[in-house]
Amino acid sequence: MNPGMKLLLVMLVALEISFTQSLIVNIILIAVSLLYILTQHISMKALFGIIFWPLFPAVGLFVSQWLYGSAGIHFAWILFTRIYAYVFLGATFTLTSSITDLSLTLEQDFHLPSKFAYGVLAAFNLMPKIAEEVRIIKTSALMRGDALHFWSPKLYFKSILSSIQWSHNLAEAMTSHGFVEDYERTHYKVIRITALDWTLFIVLLAVVQVLLFFIRY
Amino acid sequence: MTDVSINHFTFHYPQSNVKVLNDLNLTFKSGHFSLLSGPSGSGKSTLLYFIAGLYPHFIGIDAVGEIKFGDTNIKDIPREKVSRSVAMMFQNPNQQFAMDTVVHEMTFVLENLRVAPDKMDGIITQALDFCGIKQLRSRVINTLSGGEKQRVALACIVAMDPQVIVLDEPFASIDPGSREDLINKLKLLQTEHGKTIILADHDLTSYRGLVDEFYYLDPDTHQISLLDERQAEHFFKNFESTQQMHKQVAIPSGDDHAIIKLNQFKLAPHTSLLLTLNHFDFYKQKTTLITGANGIGKSTLFNALTKLLPYKGTIVFNGKDIQKIRPLPYAKNVTLLFQDAENQFLNITVKEELDLSLANRTNTDYTQADVDEMLSKLDMAGKDERIVYSLSEGQKKKLQIIEMLIMNPPVLLMDEPFKGLDYHSLEVVVGFLNRAKTDFHQTQIIISHQLSGLDTLIDYHATFEDQNLTYQEVIK
Repeated sequence: MNPGMKLLLVMLVALEISFTQSLIVNIILIAVSLLYILTQHISMKALFGIIFWPLFPAVGLFVSQWLYGSAGIHFAWILFTRIYAYVFLGATFTLTSSITDLSLTLEQDFHLPSKFAYGVLAAFNLMPKIAEEVRIIKTSALMRGDALHFWSPKLYFKSILSSIQWSHNLAEAMTSHGFVEDYERTHYKVIRITALDWTLFIVLLAVVQVLLFFIRY
Repeated sequence: MTDVSINHFTFHYPQSNVKVLNDLNLTFKSGHFSLLSGPSGSGKSTLLYFIAGLYPHFIGIDAVGEIKFGDTNIKDIPREKVSRSVAMMFQNPNQQFAMDTVVHEMTFVLENLRVAPDKMDGIITQALDFCGIKQLRSRVINTLSGGEKQRVALACIVAMDPQVIVLDEPFASIDPGSREDLINKLKLLQTEHGKTIILADHDLTSYRGLVDEFYYLDPDTHQISLLDERQAEHFFKNFESTQQMHKQVAIPSGDDHAIIKLNQFKLAPHTSLLLTLNHFDFYKQKTTLITGANGIGKSTLFNALTKLLPYKGTIVFNGKDIQKIRPLPYAKNVTLLFQDAENQFLNITVKEELDLSLANRTNTDYTQADVDEMLSKLDMAGKDERIVYSLSEGQKKKLQIIEMLIMNPPVLLMDEPFKGLDYHSLEVVVGFLNRAKTDFHQTQIIISHQLSGLDTLIDYHATFEDQNLTYQEVIK
């Protein structure tokens, strides 16, 4: 499915389950997402991650609602499954779609300014460098006798300063590579939203509406 | 024929009355290989950015005068056509790609130039082939070495096929093999394809006999002059002499106390092996100089010594495995003077920076009078309220050195500490370092390309070569 459409669908469904209360629909969404993810040959490590890490907030929410909430254990289970529904829905997108394809479709089909599409992409590709920079800043501070933690304003000040510098350099590099804002470009890989994409999008969204309408438990 | 001519070109920052570039009049000849030299921070980059059409757009300050490609003022070339005339290669290999893989980046470049999609594969293959990096086609750019990244940058330029190629210190952080290879490729682009090459570099290694013109940007007059053969030769010789020092030093003997010991040590970040050492010691209260080619792994070794990068084997400091020493005490004992001064700064003003060091230092060996004297000797007095990021590169370096001396760590690692310093300041700094060693028993390990002026400081010399580090008797 077109990554842009997929993202839109995932976001719409996630928004909907935030405002509805159906345990069974949550479970169906989790199951369907899981089945889809399993067909996409993802690593066991990633699968383990999306099952394990949400356990903490999910259990936290469950326990606090169950023990201290006024809406009872049924609602506690809804909150628990909702967290997993978010994560699994999100995973159907993040684990199976490439950020490059997303930018391409945002630019070509959703007509976002190309500056935005490629800016996001470039920033994404800079992520490992940012992690490295944060490590340098922390070590440098230690050498001055200052231990910076993730809440230290200095850490953010320095990282933001570096990021501004990088984004500036990157913009210059993109310009030097012929990129001109809002100017026509050709496309090597053309990404279209096909009739199949539209059909899938509408059918899946409709199915969720029907489920939410009929299954209130 | 597209000569790049620069007429009555003057540039200065609005808040300063010093002209960075002062009434330049020169012509970079079409189809020639021109080298522009001058000390770092003298304004070479500024001129190149204007020639590449990136300034004034990205700096927001316009210059007086004009730059012409042939008969056309660069300002009259429509923005989408500039890339057909000129392309630029930058100093930092890490910040010139927007996409994830090599082939995606090159596709991005060709799309920007509105090349027909069915022609792209052919152009990309040809460009990669020319640069000898066919095998990198599908690689993720983040996993490439500095040298490989610069080759990819050149391949992008080859694919763009502009008339003029501008390069801003493109070899500052890459290994000698890549450097030589890239210079040869540039020469080929000039001779076989008629490109005009304008390259700025303050490191003059391997340009002799290769460049057609040698221009020099004088840091005092802020003007550029074309040197004749005799003057150029003078500069080449002069440069070589700063890279040399004829001094006999001792090989460490059994009497020395080792302070840092490396055992079964192996350094291989990003899967390429840089260094293997069965055993190597650094000695207490000595100044050890490490020399070796660019990009060979000297800074990476410092990163391992400061626990910024993983390594194999053990590093022992004062008898204790550094992995067993907590981060804060270790960092205060084995401290790095970063190559990039800005990495050292944590505050905004000069005074705040100095105060931080005074507040957190491990000992009070330096008195306030000492600090004031160091500041005035380096011409840094009275700059308390200056914002550190607004200082010149040389001033940043001086401030950085003073604040790290105040910290007075037992072991001070220094990565190119003399870069951007004039010769007088270098001598002053060498004096400070000698004092820290003799009076405060500091151990110093220095990576430096600049050798002249360091005679009185260096005790031991180790060369970094063929994935090995060995002590040498002669520094040259």
